[in-house]
Amino acid sequence: MIHLKNCTIGYSSPLFSIDDILLKKGSIYALIGSNGAGKSTLFSTLTNQLSTLSGTITIASQPLQSYKLKEIAKKVSFVQSKTDYPDFLTVEAYLALGRTPYTNTFGRLAKEDHEIIKHIIKRLKIEEFLPKFMHKLSDGERQIMAIASALIQETPVLLLDEPTAFLDYGNRMKIIKFLKEIAVTEEKCILFSSHDLELCLEEINQFLYIDQAEKKLILANDLTKEALLERAFNLY
Amino acid sequence: MKNRTVILPIALCFLLIVLSVFHLTTGDLNFSFSTFYNSIFNYNSANSTELIIHEFRIPRLLIAMIAGSGLAVSGMLMQTLFNNPLAGPYVLGINTGSSLFVACSFMTGIPFLTHDFSIITSALLGAFIFGLIIISFSSFVRSHISLLLIGLMLGSFTSSIISILQTNSSSEELKSFTLWTMGSLQSVSFDQLPLILLVFFTGLFLSLFLIKPLNTLVLGSQASRLLGINLKTFRLACIGITALLTGLVTAFCGPIAFVGLAVPNSTRLLFKTQSHGILLIGNSLIGACFLVCSDVLIELFEPYFHLPINVFTSIIGAPIVIYILIKRLK
Repeated sequence: MIHLKNCTIGYSSPLFSIDDILLKKGSIYALIGSNGAGKSTLFSTLTNQLSTLSGTITIASQPLQSYKLKEIAKKVSFVQSKTDYPDFLTVEAYLALGRTPYTNTFGRLAKEDHEIIKHIIKRLKIEEFLPKFMHKLSDGERQIMAIASALIQETPVLLLDEPTAFLDYGNRMKIIKFLKEIAVTEEKCILFSSHDLELCLEEINQFLYIDQAEKKLILANDLTKEALLERAFNLY
Repeated sequence: MKNRTVILPIALCFLLIVLSVFHLTTGDLNFSFSTFYNSIFNYNSANSTELIIHEFRIPRLLIAMIAGSGLAVSGMLMQTLFNNPLAGPYVLGINTGSSLFVACSFMTGIPFLTHDFSIITSALLGAFIFGLIIISFSSFVRSHISLLLIGLMLGSFTSSIISILQTNSSSEELKSFTLWTMGSLQSVSFDQLPLILLVFFTGLFLSLFLIKPLNTLVLGSQASRLLGINLKTFRLACIGITALLTGLVTAFCGPIAFVGLAVPNSTRLLFKTQSHGILLIGNSLIGACFLVCSDVLIELFEPYFHLPINVFTSIIGAPIVIYILIKRLK
């Protein structure tokens, strides 16, 4: 789904490079790295807000840079770690915004859009939240709504920036298990960043980390905690 | 929820009609509906009642509605654009931009430049340029309050320039400009109404195209960009429409403060929604009601003391701003 080849990533000076990484449909990847290693920069690059310093990234076998704003919004959705929601935004209205890339100039929802929204609401069992205001929900509930909105956006790629930050242990577990399940059932390619090492090691078996010694993004399977700590955080 | 979005607009329309009737009939003038009808469609300037209705009452009522709606809608656009409930055309110095440009065209003394059309054009241009200045500041000023302070400073800086212009102008030019700055709903004549209505409805019509990006922008600029919204185009369009509406109102009524700030906040509280289609309707109606109501009160006070519209809206608007600030900062 996402193919990164011979890229260097960074703002003006390179932060890290990538040799050849292929992220597949139906899989979930945890992105691990210390603060400032470049996790957010990678997300900015994958959402086409920042171009690669060199090399190309292809998403759905099309170079990322060739996508128009509206087209990329149909391929990649991004859940920010924390958003401030304004007063009086109902969950129902918020979820409907997920259809933005597909609606007409006036943002009118077609029959098809309503059906997709209904389907996801049913799938996540969040009917009871619809009339509530976003800013009144708990952090955990809000995170679920953000994921729901991303699913409503119907993109093959789902990126999440620290989806488990600000949550208690129970909710963190719930979110990660939930993402794992979606990756398989909805055939998504999910990449999320996290500082929750223990939880990720327990639940996830594919890791992306930025090797501190080589300044390289590495894809690895079934790492031990020690190996991960050593390479991603330069410890031991 | 659904009831609110249906019943409220109907109730507001009704309120607006009631207020309009009050507005038209305040004062010593007694007239029947047929006289009112004649004064619009069958106008005879020899009939003094018809003359008063035609030349004074109707233009004043319509311009009150248009000014209220226009400023309220501009305020809504600014507040969502800057993601800041305290933004508005007046606090951000956009009105003052209009004033500066209008002052320049008054002070030149060239008759062509003091024509209606030139006044509107310069007011629009001033509003648009000042809108662009504020937008370029907003790209590197993150804090809401700082942006407002910059807007206010820009406003007072520009006011000073206007004062310099005033001290160096002839008494005739000074008089017409000073009268204009007091803000008035009385300076519009019946013949100017078609042009004003045309510009106003163009602005309202164009803002329909902003509803979709406005709805996504409440999630922040990054989120709306990732939903496929072209922010550059949107920001320009937003400033353009604000300039059109604010410039129009400022050109004919002078700078009117706080309507663009107080009304959108009240509308949001009343309608309890972030759907900008509904807010657009709400703001137009509440803005119109607010200014017509203010003008009725001004007319009622008229025998005792004269209250310029700008003074009146500030008296009501400033406390509302303080209230919002306290609520936000708590």
